[in-house]
Amino acid sequence: MSDITYLSGKEPHANEHRLIFKNVDRQGWDTSIDTYINDGGYEMLKKGLGMEPKAITEEVKTSGLRGRGGAGFPTGIKWGFIPPNNTKPVYLICNADESEPGTFKDRYICHQDPHQLIEGMIISSFAVGAHTAYIYIREEFPEAAITLEKAIAEAREKGFLGQNILGSGFDLEIYVHRGAAAYICGEETGLIESLEGKRPYPRIKPPYFPAAMGLYMAPTIVNNVESLCHVVHILRMGGEEYVKLGTPRNSGTRILCVSGDVKNPGYFEVQVGKVTFRELLYDMCGGPKDGREFKAVIPGGSSSKVLRCEESFKIGKGDDAKDLAFWDLPLDFDTLAAAGSMAGSGGVIVMDDSRRMSWVLNNITHFYAHESCGQCTPCREGSTWMKKVSDRIEEGKATPEDVKTLEEIAYQIDGKTVCAFGEASAWPVEAMVDKFREELVGETSEDNNFKSAERLEQEKFLSSSL
Amino acid sequence: MSTRIVVPSPRSINRSQLSYIRPHSPSGNIEVPKPAKIDRDNLVYESEGEIPKARKINLEHVHYLTPEPSVLEQNVHSPETPGTENFEPFAISADLEEKANNRIAQYPADQKRSAVLPLLHEVQHRFGFISPESIDWVAKKLDIAPIKVVEVVTFYPGFRQKAPGKLHFRVCRTLSCAMGGSYELMAKLCEATGIDRSSADGHKDPISVSPCGRYSVEYAECLASCGTAPVCLVNDDFHEGVAADKVQDLIAQYNG
Repeated sequence: MSDITYLSGKEPHANEHRLIFKNVDRQGWDTSIDTYINDGGYEMLKKGLGMEPKAITEEVKTSGLRGRGGAGFPTGIKWGFIPPNNTKPVYLICNADESEPGTFKDRYICHQDPHQLIEGMIISSFAVGAHTAYIYIREEFPEAAITLEKAIAEAREKGFLGQNILGSGFDLEIYVHRGAAAYICGEETGLIESLEGKRPYPRIKPPYFPAAMGLYMAPTIVNNVESLCHVVHILRMGGEEYVKLGTPRNSGTRILCVSGDVKNPGYFEVQVGKVTFRELLYDMCGGPKDGREFKAVIPGGSSSKVLRCEESFKIGKGDDAKDLAFWDLPLDFDTLAAAGSMAGSGGVIVMDDSRRMSWVLNNITHFYAHESCGQCTPCREGSTWMKKVSDRIEEGKATPEDVKTLEEIAYQIDGKTVCAFGEASAWPVEAMVDKFREELVGETSEDNNFKSAERLEQEKFLSSSL
Repeated sequence: MSTRIVVPSPRSINRSQLSYIRPHSPSGNIEVPKPAKIDRDNLVYESEGEIPKARKINLEHVHYLTPEPSVLEQNVHSPETPGTENFEPFAISADLEEKANNRIAQYPADQKRSAVLPLLHEVQHRFGFISPESIDWVAKKLDIAPIKVVEVVTFYPGFRQKAPGKLHFRVCRTLSCAMGGSYELMAKLCEATGIDRSSADGHKDPISVSPCGRYSVEYAECLASCGTAPVCLVNDDFHEGVAADKVQDLIAQYNG
């Protein structure tokens, strides 16, 4: 590792532990297969093909790898859900539809290190018995789609893809499938519908996992880009060794993407749970901008609940319970869940005291109103209502009652939809109102008498008929 | 004076008189043929009041109600924009067919429908936007009804039905970029290119084209580069850290 140098100004921080991002911003690095092979690439593929597929799944289970897409579900367990008596073809899909606001890790893997992803996909396909794999990449990455297709062609030429890979008798084809700018395609069943050429309406659950019934009603494994890359490193280190990284139940490394009001925003690959908010935001990101103070942090993509910087939380149960200030919270899946938010996809968005929360909330509600697929009524209608009400608050045309209305709408969506988009759109609103109620109410006035165009139309009708 | 009449639904269907939806026509409506003979007893009058039955109906005076435009007709249209002249009209070429066939081959033979997104991308990349003719072509290519292509085109924000400018700017609107100044970036872009965004609607009509047809702008939802905000895409090129005061430089890169 010591001989790796990085582009000046882009060196990793001392707290970082780079596995996945080892080659990102690396001096003399390019996306060609030769560069990757010279660095020891595709060795793990050779090792993997010499193992029993079940043994690879076991290694991944031992490693405790949790999916890096947002839900944090254990990857090895997910692979184990393929029915044992299955006779249909199995598909592997790489979810590269990175669209959670605040997250920008997959961008760098796809653009700068495509072969790592492809190696991870070949090993994973071998482990789950898939002979066709798709990379579902978002439309906003046109360059990455070309890079990946070129990388696939190179890998094919070297015999890492196609028929009888490296004489193992295993066949695999990987194809790139571009999405078309819809956030909902990140939901795995929505993604599958989109890959089938339909509108990406998420499927009703159960079955809870596409591993039972997925693409073309066949068993399908959908994994995030980062998760698939971790498989390469799990094979290299062995599950036993990998699990030592990070903290118990939160093993390995993960990439935190920091954006917003900090001096040095960017991506940091750290051991899960080994870094607290204080270390991340002050040591690694250089603290707040000059003359400013941190106010609030969204810890895992815009769908996660916002945290106030002066809050403290009770973490753990029974005798292990302890009070932790916000700054001492480690960024792992379980602690953030206990703090009432989630680690999500690792997108940390920071706001300082110059930000009006009504403005932030308004930006977020506009996003979800735009991206709701429209399948379930609570979400389709509710996300638009939340947008309209937050518009009013932001413009100073609201009454205190509107803040309550906003909260009520959010709770009417939460838990009442086919997919997790309902929660994704409701949680930020619930948390924002809950934690910044005073500030939001402060921007309203009892004297306001805002009437929407629809309301005025109705009133015309009412007064004439009375 | 003419009488408006409603023709009752027939008890039995005479197949030879029916005209079916034209296959692969996005605007296909059922065309109901004019009946050869009108049976007076079966006529229903539209008015609630008592209108005496006419003794004699003069067929020349009968007006048929024109049907409302169908959902398809409302959604399948490509309004002209100043950008239309930037692009060749849709035409099928050997090269396009070959590219399409390669894409279709990526999916199982009985699942050709999967290729609808790749094919539409190919069309949009070459011809700038998705025209009604191209929808017909994609549907034929995949052996599916045109409506199944239309539902995809109208759902995904990544597909557009009208021509953008030669340089299409997609500015990220979402939180981190907004904090980094993307609203100002959009305002400056519009100012520099003479675009009027006042009628833009994020859902129905997100794209605004400059009067000269060279530029167009649109807000995108999170381009996944929040750490280098504000960011934008110019056609397929990604630009990061584009503060509002760098707009002139950005445009100059393409005009130099």
